[in-house]
Amino acid sequence: MLHLNRIANIATAISLSLSAGLVQAQEEKSATYDDDVALIFKRHCLQCHGESKQEAGLNLASYAGVIKGGSGGDAVVAGRSSASLIFKAITAKDPEERMPPKSDPLPEEQISLIKAWIDGGVRQSIDSKAKASPGMTFKPALGTAIDGPAAMPDNLPVVNSTKTLRPFPILALATSPRAPLAAIAGYERIDFIDPATRDIAGSLAFPEGEPHVLRFSQSGDVLMAAGGRPVQNGVVILFDVKTGQRLAKIGDETDVVIAADLAPDQRQVAIGGSGRIVKVYSTEDGSLKHSLSKHTDWITAIAFSPDGKFLATGDRVGNIHLWDAESGGVVLPLSEHKGSVTALSWHSDGQVLASCGEDGLIVWWDVTKGWPLNSKADAHPPERPPGAYGKIANGVLDASFNARGELISCGRDNTVRIWSVDGSLRQTLDLNAVSQAGKNTTKQTPNARNLSDEQSSDSSGIRILPLRCAMTFDGTTAVTGDSAGQVHSWKINSP
Amino acid sequence: MNHKHTFRMLVSLFLWPLVISSSSAAAEPGFRRDVMPIFFRAGCNAGTCHGSARGKDGFMLSLFGYDAKGDYERVVTEMVGRRINTAVPEQSLLLLKATGAVPHTGGKLFTTDSEYYQTLLQWIAAGAPDDTDDVPTTAEVVLSAEQLVFDTSGASTQLTVTANASDASSRDVTKLARYFSNNESVATIDANGNVTAVGPGDTNVFARFSRFTVGAEVIVLPPAEGFNWPDPPAVNFIDELVFDRLQKLRIAPSELCDDETFLRRVTLDLAARPPTVDEYAAFMADAGPDKRATKIDQLLADDAFADYWAALWAEQLRIIGGNYAPVATHVKAADAYYQWIRRQMRTSRPLNEFVAEMVDASGSNLTNGPVNLYTMLVHKPQFDPKAFAADFSQLFLGVQIQCAECHNHPFDRWTQDDYYGFVSFFTGMKRKPGVEPRERRIYCDITAPPARHVVDGRPMPAKVLGSIDPVPAGGDPRTALAAWLTSPENELFSRNLANRIWAQLLGRGVIEPVDDVRASNPPVNGPLLDALSQRLVAANFDLRSLVRDICNSRIYQLSAKPNASNARDTRQFSHAHLRRLRADVLLDSVVAVTGVGRRFAGFPEGTRAIEYYPRESGDTEGQHFGDPFFSTFGRSSRATICACETKKEPTLSQTLHMAVGDTVRDRLGAAGEVKKLLENTISPEAMIEALYIRTLSRRPTIEESSAMRELVGDAVKDHAVYEDILWSLLNSTEFAFNH
Repeated sequence: MLHLNRIANIATAISLSLSAGLVQAQEEKSATYDDDVALIFKRHCLQCHGESKQEAGLNLASYAGVIKGGSGGDAVVAGRSSASLIFKAITAKDPEERMPPKSDPLPEEQISLIKAWIDGGVRQSIDSKAKASPGMTFKPALGTAIDGPAAMPDNLPVVNSTKTLRPFPILALATSPRAPLAAIAGYERIDFIDPATRDIAGSLAFPEGEPHVLRFSQSGDVLMAAGGRPVQNGVVILFDVKTGQRLAKIGDETDVVIAADLAPDQRQVAIGGSGRIVKVYSTEDGSLKHSLSKHTDWITAIAFSPDGKFLATGDRVGNIHLWDAESGGVVLPLSEHKGSVTALSWHSDGQVLASCGEDGLIVWWDVTKGWPLNSKADAHPPERPPGAYGKIANGVLDASFNARGELISCGRDNTVRIWSVDGSLRQTLDLNAVSQAGKNTTKQTPNARNLSDEQSSDSSGIRILPLRCAMTFDGTTAVTGDSAGQVHSWKINSP
Repeated sequence: MNHKHTFRMLVSLFLWPLVISSSSAAAEPGFRRDVMPIFFRAGCNAGTCHGSARGKDGFMLSLFGYDAKGDYERVVTEMVGRRINTAVPEQSLLLLKATGAVPHTGGKLFTTDSEYYQTLLQWIAAGAPDDTDDVPTTAEVVLSAEQLVFDTSGASTQLTVTANASDASSRDVTKLARYFSNNESVATIDANGNVTAVGPGDTNVFARFSRFTVGAEVIVLPPAEGFNWPDPPAVNFIDELVFDRLQKLRIAPSELCDDETFLRRVTLDLAARPPTVDEYAAFMADAGPDKRATKIDQLLADDAFADYWAALWAEQLRIIGGNYAPVATHVKAADAYYQWIRRQMRTSRPLNEFVAEMVDASGSNLTNGPVNLYTMLVHKPQFDPKAFAADFSQLFLGVQIQCAECHNHPFDRWTQDDYYGFVSFFTGMKRKPGVEPRERRIYCDITAPPARHVVDGRPMPAKVLGSIDPVPAGGDPRTALAAWLTSPENELFSRNLANRIWAQLLGRGVIEPVDDVRASNPPVNGPLLDALSQRLVAANFDLRSLVRDICNSRIYQLSAKPNASNARDTRQFSHAHLRRLRADVLLDSVVAVTGVGRRFAGFPEGTRAIEYYPRESGDTEGQHFGDPFFSTFGRSSRATICACETKKEPTLSQTLHMAVGDTVRDRLGAAGEVKKLLENTISPEAMIEALYIRTLSRRPTIEESSAMRELVGDAVKDHAVYEDILWSLLNSTEFAFNH
C-alpha cells in the first residue's frame, strides 16, 4: 500500500508538470498547432475526429485536416475564435452540445490556449515553415551483409525505475538473432538480460509508457520498441543496442501501439492498434508511407517477411492480410482463425508464416499459395476442471520461430511448447510446475526488485499467464515472460 | 458493511499503509460482490453500452452481468495490462475511462473521489482477484417501503435498498441500485432512491439490483377539497375491492349505466352480437328487480357464449389450417382442434383440465385435436422447443421468459436457468409421418437430451419456472409440467386466466398488457386480481362462474360517462371503457342488423365471423388474416403469440370501408329488411325509432328523432331514405364501439 501512495504522488506530479508546460508555452509565445493545439486535440478529440474515425467529416489529426473543416463547415476562422466552430463546441454551455461529449469541459488553460491560437491566426508552427523533423536522425543500416560480432549492450546508463505496486506484466519480449541476449518490457523501461541466467545486462528508459512490442533488427544492432499508454499515446522508438541511444521516434498515435515491426532494411516500421488501420512509416523522416485499411477490428499482430517484400497483419477477429510491403497493395487474405490473432512470425526462408490466436489454433501458412501447410487446433489444450461445462479459454498467446524453423508458443494453459520443423510437439514446459517447485528458472523484473519484501507476495492475486515467449538465436534456451512480471527460462532439449 | 465504514477504511489504508497491508484481506473488494454492481450502477453493462451483444468500442460485458466468469476474463485477462493495470492501478484504462480522464464514448461516469472509484482502485491494487462461484449471491432485495402515499405534489421520501445474501448476510445497496418510475408524471425517483411526488395518480417506482427488480407503490392524492365519496352499493367482492381502491385514490366511480346500454354491452360481450329487436323489447318490458342477473344467466347458458370463447381460444392458440401436408397444420387438423375446443367450452370443461389435456397430448394431429398445441402454437416446419416454450409461457402464464434466452430477465425474476430448464420440457417433442400424407403423429422422445445453458453449455434438465430442482427424470416431463401448470396452487396460471377474462369483459387487464406479467408491471389493483384468481380456483376453474360474477358487479355495469373526479382515470375501472368491437364481432353485428349473411371461403353458408379461422392454400407460417375484412379491422393475424395481434385502434381505412366499402353498401337493401319494416310501420317517427333500436339498441333522443324526421321530409314511404339512415347509423362511432 505504501506504493499506491507514491504512485499517486507521481501521477499528480506528471499532470502538474504537463499543465505547467502548457501555461508556460502560452505565456512565452503565441500558440501554434504543432506545439500546443495538436497535443490537446490528440488527448481529447482524435478518438472521434482522427485518422480512424471522422465524425462530422472532421479530422483534427493534421493541420490540413483542421483547416479543411468538416461537414458543418470551417472548423476555425483565423483571428476570430468567437466565430470558430471548434471554439464554440468546446465552450458550449449546454452539456448536450459541448465537446468532448459526455465529459467535463476542457481545462480552462487549454481552452484559452486554443483561443489564443485561433485569435493569433491559426498558425501551424512557430515559423510556419515545413513541419519540424522528428528531432533525431536515423540512417538505416543499408545492405543486408551482416558480419562482425553481434551488438551487446555496453555499459548502458542506469535507468531509474518507476516505482510500481508490483511488477508490470511482461507484454513484450524479444531475443537477439545473433547474440545471447533478450530484451523484456517493463513499466516505462526495457531490460536486456542474459537468457540463460536472466541477469540484467543493461536497461533502456521508455517514459512513453508500456512497450507492447519489442523486435531486434536482423543485424541485432537495433531494437524497436513500440507501445505507449492506452487511449493516451502511441509511439515507436528505435534504440541502438550497444549504446542504448535513441535513434528515432516514429508515430504519434492516440492509442497505444499494439502491434508493430521493423522492416529488414530498417527503412520502415509498420504499426497498428485499436484504430484498425495499419500505418507504415518511414524511419528516415518519420513520414507516413501507407495507411492500410482492410481490417475490421483492432490490429493485434504485424510482421515483415525476412526479405522485406511482404507485410503480414492480423486482427482481433481472426483475419490476416498479406500486403506488398513496398506498394501497400493487398496480396492475399489468410483466413483460418476464428478468434483474435495474437502473433505472426516468419520462417527465416520467407516461405512460411506462423500465426496463432485466441481460438487455440497455430497455423503454419504457405504464403505463396495462401494455404495452411499445417494447422494445430487446441495447440495448448486446457485442463477441464471436474464439473465444468462450456468453453475453457485455450488461447495461444504468442508464437515465434527460431533461425532453424522451430516454433515456440505459449498459451492460456500456462505451458510453453516447442514445435519441431515438421510441426510435431517436441517439448512442453509447464509454468505451474515452475512456480510451485520454485526452481531456479524464474526472476522478477527490475520494477519488482525495487519493492520491499512484503510486496512480492502481492502477486498472489494475479492470474499467472505466460504472455510472451521466444527462443535464443542458437535455439538452446526458451524465455518467457508472464502476467506477474516474471521471466522464466529453460534449457531446451536437443532434438 | 455500511458504506461510510468502507470509506473510512479506505482512507486509513492510504494513511497507514504498512499497518493495513497485513490485515487488508477481509476488506478486499471482490469482483462479483463489489465490482460488478458498480458496472451495473454506472451503466457500463447496459444494453446501449458494453452490455450490447457485441460490446461497444471493442469491449464487451454481459448484459446486466449475467455472466460473471466471462466478465472477469474480459476485464482482466483478455488484454493483459490494458484495462487493468495491477502495477500502477491508477493507470488502469477501466478507471481512466470511467472518470473521463481519457476519451470515452460513454463519458464521465464518476469522479476519482467517489466510492465507486475507490472500490475499483482497491480491487485492482489487490491484484484484481477473481472471487469464486461460491461467493454469496444476492438472494433477495428489499425496499424500505412497499407503499408511499403523498398528500401534496413536490413532497419527497428517501427509499433505501437492502440486499440479503445467500449466506444470510445483508447490506445496504442504495448507492448501487438503479431506479426507475413507471409514470414520471405521477412520481419520479432519482439516482439516490429519492421519490418525489409530481401529480395526482398512482404508479410504481422500482429499484434494480443484481437480478432483482423490486417496486413500491406510489399514490399521489388529488386535493381532498370537493371530494365526496358517493358510497355506492357493492354487489359483490369485485365492487368492494375496486371501490376500496378508488376511495383511497379519491376517485368517485361513474353512475350505473342504463338498461339499454347494459343490454347491448352484455350481449356483445357474451354472445358476440348486438341484441335483437325482440330481446330488446322483452328486456325493456321486464320490470323485475333481477332482470340484469337473469339476462346474464340466459346469455351464459346459450351456446353462443361457448362458441365465442372457443373463437377467442382458437385465436390465441393460433389455429390456421393449410392444405400443404408436410407442415402438420392441415385444415383437417385445424378443424379437429377447433371442434375439440368448442366441445370443451360447450360442456363447461374446467379451464385447468382443458389446458392440461393439451399440454400432455400426444398422437395424431387429425384425430386428437388437442395435440395440435404442438403443431399450431408455433407455426414452423420443424418443432422449435425454444420458440414453443416462450409462446407457451406467454399464453398460459402471461410471462415473457424469452428475454432469459440470452441474459437474465432485466425487469423480472426469471434467469437463464429458469428459461433453459423450461425449454427442456419440450426438447423431446417430435413429429413423425402418420398413415396418410396429412397426418403427423406428435410424440415425446424421452431419450432426447435437455436444452443446454447458453453461457457454459451445461445441460439443464426440465424444471418448472421458479423452482430450484428439476422434475423427476425419466418419462415424459410434460406430465409433471401439466400438473404444475394447472394446479390450483399455481397462482401464475390462475391469475393469468383471471386477468385475461377480466380484460375481455372490461377492455383492460388488472395487469396490462395481459401477456406481459413481470415484477416491473404490477397489477393496478393487487387485491382485486388476487380475489378474481381465487374465485376462479374456488369455482374449479369454471369460466362461466367468474364471468357471471364480473358481469353482475356494479363495476362492469358502470356508465362510460365520466365525472369530474374520474375523467383522468384510465386504469382503475372507475367508469366503463369505450371499446371498439373486435373485427369479427363487428362484421357479425353488421350481418345481424342488415339480415344479409357473409360468405367465407372454405366455410359453409351461415358461418359466423367469430367462427372463422384462416384456411390457407400453402403453409401456415407468418401473417394470416384470411378474409380481407379482418386485416382492415385488425383481427389477429396469428403470426405471433402477442395479445397485441388483436388490434382495437380505429383507422382511416376502417372508416372508409364502412362508409363506401361493400360490407355495408351491399347489405343496406339486399335483404329487403327496411322495406319489410316500412310496410309494418305506421309513421316515419316509428320507423326511425325501429332503426335505432335495431342498430344501436336504444331509442333515439328527441333531437335525433326530429333531425332524422327532417331528413325524411315528404319521402315518408321511400325505403331508400331509411336505408340512408341505416347507413349513417352503421357508420356511427356508437355502432362500432361497445360502451
